[in-house]
Amino acid sequence: MAAATIVARQGLRVIVMDEQQRPGGQILRQPPRAFGVRGWLDGRTYRGVKATLAAFETEPEIRWCGGRSALGLAREEGTFVVHAAGMDDVLRITADRVLVATGCYDLPVPLAGWTLPGVLAAGGVQAFIKSQQFVPGERFVFAGTHPLMLVIAAQIVTAGGEVALVAFDQSRTRAAAPLLAKPWTTLRNIEIFASAAAALMTLRRHRVPVRYGMPLTAITGEHQVSAARFDAMRVECDRVAMCYGFVPQSDLPRMAGASTIWASPAGGWRTLHNEWMATDVEGLWIAGETAGVAGAAAAIEEGRLAAFAILRSAGKAPDTDLPAKQARRRLARLQGFTNLLADVADPGAVLTRAVPEDTILCRCEDVSFGSVSAALDETLAPNAVKLLTRCGMGLCQGRSCEPALLRLIASRSGDKIGSAGGFAARFPARPVQIGDLIQPASVAATATISSEAID
Amino acid sequence: MNGRITHHVTRGAKLSITLDGRTLDAFEGETIATVIMALSSPAFRQDSRGDPRGLFCNMGTCSECFVSVRRISGPVRRLRACLTPVSDGMVIETTGGYDV
Amino acid sequence: MSLRYDLVVIGAGLIGAATAWRCARAGASVLIVEAGHANAGASGQNAGSLHFQIERRFLENGDRLAEEAARIVTLSRMAIDDWASLEDDLAADLHVRRDGGLMVAETPDEIALLEAKVKREGAAGLGTILLDGDAARHIAPYLAGSVAAAGFLREEGHADPRAVTPAFLRSASLQGAELRTATRVTDIQAVRPGFDVELRHDERAQTVRAGRVLIAAGAWSPRVATLANIHLPIFPVALQMNATERVRPLVPHLVQHVGRRLSMKQSHAGNILIGGGWPAKLRRGADGGFDPGLRPEPIEASRVGNLQVATMVVPAVAEMNLLRCWTGVTAITADQLPIVGEIPRLPGLFVAAGGSAFTLGPSFARLIARQIMDQDRAEADDALAVVAPARFEHLNGFMG
Repeated sequence: MAAATIVARQGLRVIVMDEQQRPGGQILRQPPRAFGVRGWLDGRTYRGVKATLAAFETEPEIRWCGGRSALGLAREEGTFVVHAAGMDDVLRITADRVLVATGCYDLPVPLAGWTLPGVLAAGGVQAFIKSQQFVPGERFVFAGTHPLMLVIAAQIVTAGGEVALVAFDQSRTRAAAPLLAKPWTTLRNIEIFASAAAALMTLRRHRVPVRYGMPLTAITGEHQVSAARFDAMRVECDRVAMCYGFVPQSDLPRMAGASTIWASPAGGWRTLHNEWMATDVEGLWIAGETAGVAGAAAAIEEGRLAAFAILRSAGKAPDTDLPAKQARRRLARLQGFTNLLADVADPGAVLTRAVPEDTILCRCEDVSFGSVSAALDETLAPNAVKLLTRCGMGLCQGRSCEPALLRLIASRSGDKIGSAGGFAARFPARPVQIGDLIQPASVAATATISSEAID
Repeated sequence: MNGRITHHVTRGAKLSITLDGRTLDAFEGETIATVIMALSSPAFRQDSRGDPRGLFCNMGTCSECFVSVRRISGPVRRLRACLTPVSDGMVIETTGGYDV
Repeated sequence: MSLRYDLVVIGAGLIGAATAWRCARAGASVLIVEAGHANAGASGQNAGSLHFQIERRFLENGDRLAEEAARIVTLSRMAIDDWASLEDDLAADLHVRRDGGLMVAETPDEIALLEAKVKREGAAGLGTILLDGDAARHIAPYLAGSVAAAGFLREEGHADPRAVTPAFLRSASLQGAELRTATRVTDIQAVRPGFDVELRHDERAQTVRAGRVLIAAGAWSPRVATLANIHLPIFPVALQMNATERVRPLVPHLVQHVGRRLSMKQSHAGNILIGGGWPAKLRRGADGGFDPGLRPEPIEASRVGNLQVATMVVPAVAEMNLLRCWTGVTAITADQLPIVGEIPRLPGLFVAAGGSAFTLGPSFARLIARQIMDQDRAEADDALAVVAPARFEHLNGFMG
């Protein structure tokens, strides 16, 4: 949104596309227009982002295409082609420039029972609360490594829901160690830690136990979740929210041929870029989690940088050197916090833990760890494993299983994760009805300079 | 209405949808996912082994929540429940061992 | 690891694996060398059609090619038998389904083409039946009303390319064949008798002595042949395929079109696979030539065109979600027929590449194994005459 607003103000025509109905992405998660929510996202933490949203929604040069999934990104004779699938049709959009800011998604962590109905990604739980004003269950257990789950658990109890337990896999010492090791970075970013502290207090007030050094070992139930197991201990619940970190989404840049690298610590492909957020594909910029998981504040700065670069490429902004330097300085400062948080939330220990052979690794095709292990006896190439087992061939096209598979391969080969490559990113990035695809409606860039952001 | 926050929240118009033959109330602006999660059994589909499966990511990436949707006009579509707003008269079916 | 083998097979695709199995079973010591991983090329990327009717591409260019195609029909009839016993022979589930193939026609011109094709096939001993539109829809209710006629061949169908090559490799290994992956061949020297084959793995080189060598490296075969100072007129071809999400059982047949590019089937898992020879774009390597190892770029017009034909013939496809498009590289020769047999000027050097190697692969492997092992050689030579390397020997007349 930040990028689109800056670019549009200089006269470039911008289309912004997002899978959600309303702008704001996963951070703002605006409730539907038909809802009225008093005091929505009050508080200092959200002030900056809300301002960005206001500027975006009132900018006349921006065309908002909500509720559309970008299916692919291709270059055709110097122009980009993006297919945008909605509920009724597919738009074929052409543009001279593209900004991809497709964010991240919760790291799926396979463990016994994780495919039972009622197991949710913590980010997904938060999305229900924020943009649907809905608590998606009766009694929650939160398990993971990321402090965000404190905030989400607090949001549940504040809304009147019940949280039975918040269980951190890592010990309290392990969680606190990075903070103690970098006290200045911690202090500089005290606001963000303050919201975690506030969440802890809310949870205490509601008598929600928060425990450390408690790895989730299994989820049990007949046709849906009935309990979470932590070794011998059993906690009854109907929802388990997993919060182990986040994985960047780089499907579109990869389809366009941009170089990516395996992200730490949770994994996934993050797209490489220069100091102007440009990828190694001409005309393609990125911002936000696609470049590496770093949070909302960093995303905005990167969006600004990309916008300045886009304007420069269009010969439209002679005075961007200083603002760009300032954005980079702010980013550098934020980087310290990002690294700190990544350290605190590092799911490394969880991901290398052994799971029962019949645990599902590929959710879409129901491929077990056992099947994949057998294939790994024959080959260590991800695509070969895919061919042999169907792992990665389902609807999600590897988003849920690739991190776990590549980790398994790395543990067998001894090589760095991602060095053996991964699944190829192919059209369509999301499933699309064929009838819509064969007769798309065209939205061509009529001006010689036009820019398009995909969010 | 299981789970719906009412404190400080006003909802849009109430509307009526059908889920696997059952008529349900829903509110304008809600996603199909919300309506299903408000039920006692949060199953969206059956997997290839016949086991029930539910929504996971709630943001369109995991593909667990695909359902068949028919609106007043147009073909039957297979859509992600977490991204699809309900509309009045919408007919929704959860899916069996195949994706469709 | 031995330094002498009766046979070195270059390429762990279908044909290489199948030939290795046949020869190992007959008592030969076999080494299979694969530069990447097994089944990575066209063998694993294709859609698994088992097609025995004369292909559309042979009908495109008039009568001459159609005559050659009719000669292939003899091989097709062998392939029908070979596929019938394959799952038992390999003790593996290859998801072979043979409920029949329908090649459809819609316009009067297409009907005429279909009639001519069926006549040729009949003369060559293939039992294709000509059906009118209603009869076609009777056995295939999913076909559109616009289908006016169809050639139906009971023996056609599909199998799972992801399972076939690995099954051959496992059987070969049980018979004592050795497989080395991530291993390139860097030189082939004729030492009469036999060949010295230089291999490179992890920067380390090793030379093995081979009684015979089989080049079964698909689109890479010409490069390997270069090492033996031989021209092979085999060229890479980039194709594009589409897969829908898994749907309820709808299309039990292999569906093709006589006048348009279309090949459709429903895999055992339920996905509808849609292809038919639609082009993708080959990528060029550092040396400026086409590099079959680089993933081809998809072409939007191919995707749209392919899906349009598919929906015209099977209207239900329009309501399915497209899951994935992928591209792969296969190979074609100068006269569209594969090259299978011994190189006349270099006895002991064999080639098996150049397309159609899923359907006909097991048969080619059985026959070339006979040539390699010198068992029932005359019969094998006769069956493979139509695809013999000898027809291109003029290209090597000046190769020292």
